[in-house]
Amino acid sequence: MNAIEVHHLRQQYDKGRVIYEDLNFSVAEGSICGLLGKNGQGKTTLVNILMGFLKPSGGECLVLGEKSHDLPATTRNRIGLLHEGHLAYEFMTINQTEKFYRGCYPNWEAETFFDLVGKMGLSGDHKVGNMSCGQRSQVVLGVILAQNPDLLILDDYSMGLDAGYRRLFLDVLHDFVAGDGKTIFVTSHIVQDLEQLVDTMIFIDQGEIMQTDLEEFMGSFHQYVFNADSELQFKKDDLIIGFEQRNEKVSVYSFAGMELVEQHIKDMGISPDNIHKVKMTLEDAFIGLMGKY
Amino acid sequence: MQRYFIAAMVVNFAICIKIFFGIRQQLRAEHAEMVWYQAIHLHSVLYDSIQHLPLLTGLTLAAAQFIPEMLGGRLRISLHLPMKRDIMLLYSIICGLLLYLAVCVMNLLMIGMTMRMYFPMEVAATVLPTMAPWILAGLLAYLGSITVLLEPSWPRRIFILIVFAILAYMLFTGIGYSWFAPALCLLMLLVPLSLLTVFESGRRFQEKGGS
Repeated sequence: MNAIEVHHLRQQYDKGRVIYEDLNFSVAEGSICGLLGKNGQGKTTLVNILMGFLKPSGGECLVLGEKSHDLPATTRNRIGLLHEGHLAYEFMTINQTEKFYRGCYPNWEAETFFDLVGKMGLSGDHKVGNMSCGQRSQVVLGVILAQNPDLLILDDYSMGLDAGYRRLFLDVLHDFVAGDGKTIFVTSHIVQDLEQLVDTMIFIDQGEIMQTDLEEFMGSFHQYVFNADSELQFKKDDLIIGFEQRNEKVSVYSFAGMELVEQHIKDMGISPDNIHKVKMTLEDAFIGLMGKY
Repeated sequence: MQRYFIAAMVVNFAICIKIFFGIRQQLRAEHAEMVWYQAIHLHSVLYDSIQHLPLLTGLTLAAAQFIPEMLGGRLRISLHLPMKRDIMLLYSIICGLLLYLAVCVMNLLMIGMTMRMYFPMEVAATVLPTMAPWILAGLLAYLGSITVLLEPSWPRRIFILIVFAILAYMLFTGIGYSWFAPALCLLMLLVPLSLLTVFESGRRFQEKGGS
């Protein structure tokens, strides 16, 4: 069973700009799926569609089996949303926030909320609007986890958070998915954090999507480094997916093995001195796949 | 919102007090027969300085309630609550309307008491039908402002703004006491109709990006 299903999704803005033409993917129940893409590639638009804040121009986007832009209240009850910037009712205090949401969600787990929020050591009368970004994010996380949802959609949860708070999120989210059938769909600008969290990745680039298992992707995508004494120009092709040069150090990214890539570079008339494969992080892989700009 | 409501109460209260002192002063300075002649025979409404205040109150309360929600994007939180969108909007609107009506009830009581103090009951009883169109204009201003704020398309926003402005203007065109009383029941239909426009803009707000 899939928590999210996107079929032939088409999105066009009023001014005629087409963001996607025919997007298809699914997120299985129980998985943690990360969405990565450079700025301006339609990541926010896709998250808005999934969150139900944008009706697609065409195609279908199903969240927990229902159309995302027309979710019944019973389905919304099963979805926890973390909005970019950790949106919260800032005029409420911690206790008021708990009381308000308790009345809205039948499966509300007050203990979960107070366990998480209590770690801050703030009084229940503390106003959310007077909190730091990290503290506010903790309240928001407490709210969405206490709802006991089946699906979490987190839009750039790491925005504005220091390393400690980001680690807290990772810990809490890992505990969350340990529960049966819990699914997370997440975007973040901090790619390293996603590496520690997700099991499936969706890369979005110029309206196209590549969905892959993280482990499989990191095992099949490679970074090769060699030295060059002049500035090189590479054209992307079937073998060279990405390229970057910093002074004499040249990195090429490819799904192919090293021998094939080395021969391919030689065929271009370039001598790849001391070419070798290096271990890369998801961030390196992201740059290799998507490019820097 | 709370601060703006208190501010609205204070301003409305101050204007009502000003009207009270104005009428008292007029009766002291002029012959009572003259004031009676102006009020009853010439249909000069002695408290007409309050007529645009409900409109301003409606605008202020709508802005205070919805602008922070729109600017901060917090309406997205409310739209995801496990209840129907229209019900959620209706709850929000009912909260705002109750505050608005609280201000209006205060105005009606204060103006009514002022009039009762110096005029016969028959004259004091016209306060409600005389002020009702002004109060209705404030209601439309409140609902119209929310519709305009929620509506994502600028051409539609402008159109809605013009329609609500014409409706509100119409409610200020009469002269004298109880001048709209025969049509009041029909005019009250504008409120549920305006609610429908809020719901429609709410639907479009959510489907067009919700921010």
